[in-house]
Amino acid sequence: MVIGMKVLFYPGCSLKNNYPEFEKSSLEVCRKLGIELLEIPRWTCCGVNFSLATDNVMRHLGAVRSLINAREKGKEMDTKTVVTACSMCYNVLKRVNLTLREDPDKLETINSFIDDQPDYVPELEITHLLSLFEKIGFDKIGEIVVKPLKGLKVASYYGCALLRPNKPRGIPIDDPESPTILEELMESIGAEPIDFPFKTECCGNYHVVFRPDIVEMRAEKIISSARSRGADIIVSACPLCLYNLERGNEILDEGRRAPIVFFTQLMALSFGVNSYLNEEIKEWILKKC
Amino acid sequence: MREVNELAKRVIEISGQNVYSCYQCGCCSAGCMFTEMMDMLPNQAIALIQRGDRSVLEKETPWICASCFMCTVRCPRGLDVAAIMEALREIRIRERDFVRVDLRRIENIEKLPQIAITAIAQKFTW
Repeated sequence: MVIGMKVLFYPGCSLKNNYPEFEKSSLEVCRKLGIELLEIPRWTCCGVNFSLATDNVMRHLGAVRSLINAREKGKEMDTKTVVTACSMCYNVLKRVNLTLREDPDKLETINSFIDDQPDYVPELEITHLLSLFEKIGFDKIGEIVVKPLKGLKVASYYGCALLRPNKPRGIPIDDPESPTILEELMESIGAEPIDFPFKTECCGNYHVVFRPDIVEMRAEKIISSARSRGADIIVSACPLCLYNLERGNEILDEGRRAPIVFFTQLMALSFGVNSYLNEEIKEWILKKC
Repeated sequence: MREVNELAKRVIEISGQNVYSCYQCGCCSAGCMFTEMMDMLPNQAIALIQRGDRSVLEKETPWICASCFMCTVRCPRGLDVAAIMEALREIRIRERDFVRVDLRRIENIEKLPQIAITAIAQKFTW
């Protein structure tokens, strides 16, 4: 299947430095789907958390600088869509773009501050890979599956950044209280989605730095809930969620742990392309299917 | 019409949220998954702001809040409760703390993903 779509791609720090398997599997999956991901030149860190202090625009600068470069590249390549794989990057870029679209004063302040780059015009559309896949259609994605992950029970863990906040409008990629987009995707690649009540809860975010006890408390609950509902494996779209849930696995007894992988890795496995899963997990999954 | 106290005025300026529209239903605290680590519930913190009680700035609660926005999604008054927590952090940082945590004292820094370190630097420093 060739969709022949070109979109701008913002990989973000975690995909480049900590979780290259997320970026590489995303690229593999998109290539198979006929989506060309054009990496934004000279992108910088998005800031990770969108600053909620309305009187300080400084913290948006990292995101804006990347969006300026994205817009320039987009003009060249004739696209206005920026896609991310990391849910935190999605949230920050989306919110900064919306803020500047709705608040001309802030846009002017930022543009007058940045004098080494062209002005930003907030005409880009920020989207997440999952939304892009939904737009293409899960039935179409199912058509290119060569190895359906039959019998693999997958718990979809959304975390916060894909779903919240719900104001201003346009941030959540699905219903903030009961999303199904990841489950539908998992179904399309032949896996069996498992619903669990902690799928939209928070993993503890940056507390892993100074208060790992908070993250461990959260991760233990999330993993235990998924396991008690019968899940074999947990999928995530967030590098920090994945890291934090792994911290939970470290304190759980062996029988109560669950492997955590990026959603693109399971897609890649079902598409018959390189999933960048570690060999042990890959074999374990394939034995189940 | 209640008189707007100085603390509430500052919180409103920073967060853009009218703290007086909170009617203390407690939905924010009911959905919050970090309350067992807090020394005051989020709705109680808002009550203190409404009364202009600056002791709210001494509480751990805003620092335990991880900006997950569950409260914001569920507030029946449409308040961005997470932004109110951010305003409390900002006031502390701007008035006194400047640097709430010593980033040089992070253990296992090479093992942590940089996303976590950048995030805490954003939230806990000036």
